[in-house]
Amino acid sequence: MTQLEIEGKVFNVDGDGFLVNPQLWNEEIAALFAKHDGTGQLNEKHWAIINFIRNHWLENDMAPMVRKICQNTGLRLKEIYTLFPMGPAKGACKIAGLPKPDGCV
Amino acid sequence: MTIFHWILLAGFVICLLSCLYHFFMALPAGKDIDYATPDAKTRQAVVYSFTKAMSPKKKETAFMHLPTYTAGIFYHLGTFLSLFLVIFIFFNVSFPTWLAYSIIVFLAFTSICGLSILIKRMTSSLLKNLSNPDDYFSNILVTGFQIITAIYLLLNTGLEYYFIITTILFLYLPIGKLRHTIYFFTARLHLGIFYGRRGTWPVKK
Amino acid sequence: MAGEKVIIMAKNNSLTEKQKKALKLLKSRLNGRLLTHLNSCVHCGLCGESCHYYLATKNKNFIPGKKVDIVSSIYQRYHTLAGKVAPRLYGAKDFNDKTVEELIDIVFGACSMCGRCSVHCSIGVDVPYIVRTARSMLVEMELVSPGLQSTVDAAINTGNNMGIPRDEFVDTLEWLSEDLEMEVEDEDASIPLDKKGVDILYTLNPREPKFFPLSISAIAKIYYAAKENWTLSTNVYDVTNYAYFSGDDKGAKELTERLCDEMSKLEAKTLVLAECGHGYRAIRWEGPNWIERPYPFKVISVVELIGDYIRSCRIKLDPSLNKLPVTLHDPCNMVRGGGVIEVQRFVIKNAVENFIEMMPNRANNFCCGGGGGQLAMSEYAERRIKSGKIKADQIRKTGAKIVATPCHNCIDQLMELNKEYQLGVEIKTIGELVADALVLEEKSN
Ligand code: SF4
Ligand code: SF4
Repeated sequence: MTQLEIEGKVFNVDGDGFLVNPQLWNEEIAALFAKHDGTGQLNEKHWAIINFIRNHWLENDMAPMVRKICQNTGLRLKEIYTLFPMGPAKGACKIAGLPKPDGCV
Repeated sequence: MTIFHWILLAGFVICLLSCLYHFFMALPAGKDIDYATPDAKTRQAVVYSFTKAMSPKKKETAFMHLPTYTAGIFYHLGTFLSLFLVIFIFFNVSFPTWLAYSIIVFLAFTSICGLSILIKRMTSSLLKNLSNPDDYFSNILVTGFQIITAIYLLLNTGLEYYFIITTILFLYLPIGKLRHTIYFFTARLHLGIFYGRRGTWPVKK
Repeated sequence: MAGEKVIIMAKNNSLTEKQKKALKLLKSRLNGRLLTHLNSCVHCGLCGESCHYYLATKNKNFIPGKKVDIVSSIYQRYHTLAGKVAPRLYGAKDFNDKTVEELIDIVFGACSMCGRCSVHCSIGVDVPYIVRTARSMLVEMELVSPGLQSTVDAAINTGNNMGIPRDEFVDTLEWLSEDLEMEVEDEDASIPLDKKGVDILYTLNPREPKFFPLSISAIAKIYYAAKENWTLSTNVYDVTNYAYFSGDDKGAKELTERLCDEMSKLEAKTLVLAECGHGYRAIRWEGPNWIERPYPFKVISVVELIGDYIRSCRIKLDPSLNKLPVTLHDPCNMVRGGGVIEVQRFVIKNAVENFIEMMPNRANNFCCGGGGGQLAMSEYAERRIKSGKIKADQIRKTGAKIVATPCHNCIDQLMELNKEYQLGVEIKTIGELVADALVLEEKSN
């Protein structure tokens, strides 16, 4: 377990920077994580994605397909990659406080 | 033939037999069938593995460490020469003086190479971390073997000591790291087959 | 000698059941090849500079010879006479909690099984082969790194390593299919699913449908341009085989069998692998040995297929459509460990205006640091990023703006390196580059 300090606040994260205890997540944490990983100030579109991912995870215990993110937020695929330069997994999912998905991400 | 001759001969036979045993165990056996359809001819890759792949041009362990690599090469040449001389000394064949002196000078040089490698092993923290007693002992044994060969050629006495050290060398060879005498060849062979089937070797460019 | 034996027996008895299982596995694998590689390292210590872990950390325990040694010392201790009689002399080590812990840290946490050291080793020790054997021992002890294990489990239990439900997979593919139709303005363009009797069964890395589907669109567009008779299976499509990384031969076999079954079910002729380094190695080279028979079909990488398309003029490319300078990262398992070396260069040169090789390259290339399952093991993430510095420096030196690589796993690592080392490059698959350069035929009607 690693500790991540952003602006004086300390979080327990795994080696990849995902929250160890996803229950602890809140919007303030999301904003801090976004600042830390270079996503920057979160705007409405960011929040739409983050909230959708978060809710999908709470209901299904799984990160949503990027297809569903597009469908539910009405955003285009390429926009998602621009909004989250680290991509949907290491960017959006991490900011939404999900555990690290399995696989090549 | 003296008793020392017999001991040496016995040592040699034991050495040879265990080396053969190691060699045949280490050749492909049983489970080594590869079911994947090969891409290329392995023969060329095996040849490459023993030749070009070993050259300092291709190998970082050689070209990034040229002094050690060169010392290593000479050290090995000294060992081969000394092993070759065992036959002559065993049958008490004497050399013309000029030849004996050339051999002595050469062996003196190769033993210094061996010693320098030993000193490097004893002083570099990286190597100390990697070495076990066998590594030091093997070096001392082989370097000692070269030195005593040179001394015998120089002074023409101390044949017993020469025979004893040589016998110890023969007996120890298949047990410790010196068995890379055999495994070096099977390693090159297996690696050559591996990269050959996949078409990675021989490197074309 | 008898007394000696009693002591050895007593020592062996202090081994736990799991440790005994691991040693038994080691013994069962002792064929000529393994014997050779376990016995041949001469501790010359010259291999450090060939390994990105050592280069980036200068940690004495990370030189390849040391990694071989930790496995070999256990072998010496239990499976050789010399090591049993005089363990100290040979550095033979007891297999206990401490050595197990060291073993885990080294074989999972400090080696990406890239094989670069083997090419340069003074002797020719196959280091990744030994490391994987040690991982297999840890499989027996149920001590595989958790992230790696759960990725293997996901693949075995759900059919793909990200646990994507089938309906969501189908939904995504249908969406991509519609997109393709719109993009090429042809109602007949599509991504065929579960079609029988095709020439080509294509596979995917699950991260494509899940998070990065642009690479699927790219390949689908290329197939469209080449008028290929192809399909994707909605049941068995995963090109990855994390059991190769974890050392789990049973799991690896199961995943390979599934692909074989699907090939025969769909009566497909050629299995085409998505851009995936370890997937290529696992399916093309290791798979037949896991299932202990040769495949009745051909296996090629999609990059090789694209090479054929270009050579036979089945697709037309306009390199001026890719103007930015491009460099290529060679995935270890596909290049050094897989023998696919020149074709990706041929393809890229046909698809871009300015191609720059990074140095060193081909079979001599450095690992990106993400291989060997490292991406799935969070506990070693810091080391992974650090060891990637070698690759980052290589990329920076080329001055390229785009890094292409035929491996999704490498892509993910390269994306992280891009951010960490501020490279300011874009990372792409070969398929994406080719799709960008595609010149579609004018429709005749
Ligand atoms: S296989 Fe690669 S990572 Fe492992 S020791 Fe060799 S060079 Fe290093
Ligand atoms: S270069 Fe080869 S023989 Fe030398 S220490 Fe490294 S692995 Fe061992």
